[in-house]
Amino acid sequence: MLAPIEIHAPRTVPDASALLRQHGDEAAVYAGGTELLIVMKERLTPVNRLIDIKQIAGLREIAVDEDGTLTIGALATHREISRSPLVQQHSPYFSSLERIIANTRVRAAGTLGGNLCFAEPHSDPATLLSAVHATVRLESSDGSRELQTEEFFRGLLETDRRPDEIMTRIALPKLWETTGVSYQRFKTHERPVATVAAAVSVTGEVIDDARVFVGSVGPKPQRMTAVEDAIRGQQPGPALFQQAALLAGEAAEIDEEGFESADYKRHLVAVYVQKALQDASDNAKDRQL
Amino acid sequence: MSIETVPATTLPTELRTEITVETTVNGRAVTKQVEARRMLLDFIRDDLGLKGAKRSCDSQVCGACTVLIDGLPVSSCCTLAYEATGKQVTTIEGLSQNGVLDPVQEAFIEESAIQCGFCTPGMILAVKVLLEENPSPTREEIEQNLSSNLCRCTGYWNIIDAVERAAQRLREGDRK
Amino acid sequence: MTVGADIPRIDARPKAVGETKFVGDLIVPGMVYGKLIRSPFAAAKITRIDARAAKALPGVITVMTGDDVLDIDPYYGHAIKDRPLIAIDRVRFAGEPVVAIAAETPEIAADAAELVEIDYEPMEAVLSIDEALAENAPHLHVTELLRKGLFHGLGEFKLDPGNICYHHQFGRGELDAAFAEADIVVEGEYEFPAVYQYAMETHTTIAEWNTTGDAAGDEVTLHSNCQHPFLVRAEIADLFQLPVASVRIVVPWLGGGFGSKSYTKMEPITVALARKAKRPVRIQNSVDESMVTTRRHGMKAWMRTGARKDGTLLVREVRAWLDTGAYADNGPRVVATAADAAPGPYRWTAVDVNAWGVYTNTSPAGSYRAFGASHLGWIGEAQVDEIGRKCGLDGVQMRELNLLEPGEYVRPGGKPLDADLKGDIRKVAQNLDWDAPKPPNTGRGVSVGLLAAGAHPVSTAFVRMEADGKVVLYVSSTDMGQGARTVFSQIVAQELALTMDEVRVMGGDTQVTPYDRSTGASRSTTLAGMAVLRSGAELREQLFDIASQQLGLPPEALEMRDGAIWHEDESLTYPDLIKAHFGMVGGELIGRGEVRPERGSGSYAEGPVFWEVCIGGVELEVDPDTGKITLLKTASVADVGKAINPKQVETQEMGGLLQGIGNAIYEEMLFDPSSGQLTNGSLFDYHIPTMLDLPESHRSTIVENADGPGPYGAKGVGEGALAGAIAAVATALGDLGIDLHALPATPERVWRAQQAARGTQQADTNGTN
Repeated sequence: MLAPIEIHAPRTVPDASALLRQHGDEAAVYAGGTELLIVMKERLTPVNRLIDIKQIAGLREIAVDEDGTLTIGALATHREISRSPLVQQHSPYFSSLERIIANTRVRAAGTLGGNLCFAEPHSDPATLLSAVHATVRLESSDGSRELQTEEFFRGLLETDRRPDEIMTRIALPKLWETTGVSYQRFKTHERPVATVAAAVSVTGEVIDDARVFVGSVGPKPQRMTAVEDAIRGQQPGPALFQQAALLAGEAAEIDEEGFESADYKRHLVAVYVQKALQDASDNAKDRQL
Repeated sequence: MSIETVPATTLPTELRTEITVETTVNGRAVTKQVEARRMLLDFIRDDLGLKGAKRSCDSQVCGACTVLIDGLPVSSCCTLAYEATGKQVTTIEGLSQNGVLDPVQEAFIEESAIQCGFCTPGMILAVKVLLEENPSPTREEIEQNLSSNLCRCTGYWNIIDAVERAAQRLREGDRK
Repeated sequence: MTVGADIPRIDARPKAVGETKFVGDLIVPGMVYGKLIRSPFAAAKITRIDARAAKALPGVITVMTGDDVLDIDPYYGHAIKDRPLIAIDRVRFAGEPVVAIAAETPEIAADAAELVEIDYEPMEAVLSIDEALAENAPHLHVTELLRKGLFHGLGEFKLDPGNICYHHQFGRGELDAAFAEADIVVEGEYEFPAVYQYAMETHTTIAEWNTTGDAAGDEVTLHSNCQHPFLVRAEIADLFQLPVASVRIVVPWLGGGFGSKSYTKMEPITVALARKAKRPVRIQNSVDESMVTTRRHGMKAWMRTGARKDGTLLVREVRAWLDTGAYADNGPRVVATAADAAPGPYRWTAVDVNAWGVYTNTSPAGSYRAFGASHLGWIGEAQVDEIGRKCGLDGVQMRELNLLEPGEYVRPGGKPLDADLKGDIRKVAQNLDWDAPKPPNTGRGVSVGLLAAGAHPVSTAFVRMEADGKVVLYVSSTDMGQGARTVFSQIVAQELALTMDEVRVMGGDTQVTPYDRSTGASRSTTLAGMAVLRSGAELREQLFDIASQQLGLPPEALEMRDGAIWHEDESLTYPDLIKAHFGMVGGELIGRGEVRPERGSGSYAEGPVFWEVCIGGVELEVDPDTGKITLLKTASVADVGKAINPKQVETQEMGGLLQGIGNAIYEEMLFDPSSGQLTNGSLFDYHIPTMLDLPESHRSTIVENADGPGPYGAKGVGEGALAGAIAAVATALGDLGIDLHALPATPERVWRAQQAARGTQQADTNGTN
């Protein structure tokens, strides 16, 4: 049961930012509330002021820029994103992911910005967006800045966002024609055990670039540079991917907590990195057909 | 042996903790002053006396508290009553009109898709949304969509049959 | 004919429109809201409670601690009186209520809970069976001083010092000689997890303490979602020193039970808080609170089974330790029933079974759907298959060779087998396409077991026929979703040639509806149903007598149909008969029915009331990379004697089966090994089966041999499929060479067992090279 709260509904980003600065630890940005309210019901946080940013205009638009970048307002819900023809056309892999996040009710209320800012280690978009060079925009009364998703996540429930900053939009660059993307997850409970996102670019018969991120097993999405290095410049194939995936199993930082042992999670990481690499490279080839 | 204290905490006092919720529930306009922390589930159950939606997991996993806001399903146990402001809320009580049941409700009765009935109101509303968006769902689509509405009694088979029956009836109704 | 037909449930429509009221939907005038502060420590002394700030919060009515119940004997427990209704000076598990607050709103009660300061002096806790049984382990209770409860039903009652709350032993034949005769012996150690019933509706109780001021003294009224209202009534009367008739328990529809609401749970603390608050009080658990209110017993066991090389089973020896948590609850009965089921329905030369209930500093364990058959059934069945594999017989062949025949004794002194198990196992094999080729990584298994069902056979019912010829049925079985009230309506309609809409069934209310021992152990249709049948039959006789007088014909010349008594073309409707009998348009006829232990064969005296058949069939696929199980096919056989409502039998089977799948594959309560706190007390971390966990196909067969002791030869249903499913998952994994010694069959466990099996194969291959 929630403790007593006050709800503020600012109309502009600077107003919201000022409220956040004024109330410090007692205030939190409130959008869909799907994660925040659960924590507050447990009375595990000092937050008692919700800064509802849903009254701020212009934070839920989905559009494609002139340079081909897909921009998604931070307040767009998972449901809206999953049903957007623009997203489907521009980044079908992301559209598919948004269709399977949490459940139908959470998708109707939860926002992409909220999901990323909460920085729950099992966040599906956090891992996938890191792999495809997505960026996030943070705004405050002092102005705005743009940073790579990869840099945004600092640790467990921890991001680069200052307390008075508000995430306003997420941008997904247009992928090279040669790039395929795959997202894999292994789930036994509400939260997945291991998640893997891979973006693999195949030109001719050679992998010319790759980005591989592992989520859920550690505090934040982890880049698997060893895997990327091992496959770059090579010909895609099951043997290569199997070998490279083992490197991920070794390199990943594993949270010792949870139902599964660290050993088994490492094994799962390897299994799912291999699946993701294979699937991404198959997708890359399919796109070029 | 050391003593461990589970300490008391203090409650904040300088908050404006009351809000006014102006909303429409099952087609009826409602204005009520409530605490800002009031959850939508408590609002409809205790302030409005509509007891159909149920609290079970209290963490938006089980679906027993499902209601619709502007036609979309939400977990009312984890949604502030504040969110209903200016919106249309539909509860199970609003689904049947003047004693005439919705085809989804009829199908649940006919297929014996109800046992203890605690999940039923939420499940029926979830089915309602599913069939509005997808009038001919495959079995797999039904399972995917309703996998976040839990039932411990039925084993789900009859619920899936009820969804298929309701879908068929709604499609036939459309053609008439 | 209403019996044998797929009559729609009488409660379906009100449930579909959201009108059905559960306890949490009720508002008693003046009602306030209770909130419990529960211990974070598994074992600790409570040295100080400061609730001044909480009491001072506007809207708080009262704050209750252990000190407030010292004017009564505050210990309860239907088997063993070992539990104080609120912690007194010490706590024995993380989650035990220490402080109870009553306030005008649930929010104020929750706020007040934040203001209470409590000092604990942590003590050494025993958090597992091994820790509890270790030498020098601290004892939870002074067991030799514990008193027996009102319904212990366990014969002689004496506990040795230590953490054992019950020991059950039986055996027959010469064990050593039989093992000496065996060509094949398999043995192993096993573990079964603590699991939660997860009824969707949590425990909810409203208590009113009325100071009447009249000669009969104070009265207590409870609205509670309990399965056993009459047993709760007796315990509340005993605790608060009231006459039984001064305690009234009203039970509306329940949002699921599965054993979690059997016996006394939240009622004593709610009554005590209402007594102190002088206001009606509601206490409604959250899910995590209900999870530490009751659960299924975790277990460790050792079993060995011996057989001849032709597959003939000879001998079985079993030792099992069941973790009952901090308080016995129904632990002793669960221990005894689990032990009784351990040999399985086979012919043995010798058996020896020992089972113990063990106290630990974890949340209390009690009844859970199909208790008894679930704990050891899967282990016994896995060993039967293991022997089969060693002598070249498949699961069906092993069972055809060894299963008991109807009329053979399951246990000496008990009721002989009342079911055709070989026929059942053939049907389940057929439902599973037993002989079809299996794709890679696919395993197929069947299982069979028996559950001593029916509990104590005492039920009563009465039926009133009003002047308009319609009836009201009074019967106290709780309808927790299983459809009891629908089945009772069908029976009484059948007996009185009425239609379903001419029958109304009252909900349980101990001041209105007559005594029923309990709702559980698959007993409602069989026992309460028989009382209902007899009440209808008695009323029918009265109608025939009146008609016989009116028509001047012997009853044998008369016939009952369509709401009237007929002689050839002449008829008297029930309203006609009642009017004739009383001489006015008024009056009523009352039929009464009762079931109690009776002497003689086929009776309820020799125990159990009936043997519930547990049959399961599973075909599953294991992902060789991750160990994750996908269910392909499930099959069950509902051996029910007579299906009074076939559709409801089917849903009981499917629901029970999927709950069994949950027990077998997904569910396990985890207690932190250092703090003893439940670490997965929410649906985020405790997975109950969803639609995505359904098998690709399911086939169920209803067997109606009219061999049950209930109405029309019926026997209960609802538990067998659960136990059958657990065991069939184990045998299907065994078919793949995956020899699992602990459930649930999580991906990691299966993957490790697979790795171990591959290692063994590797070693075998290396050996032959």
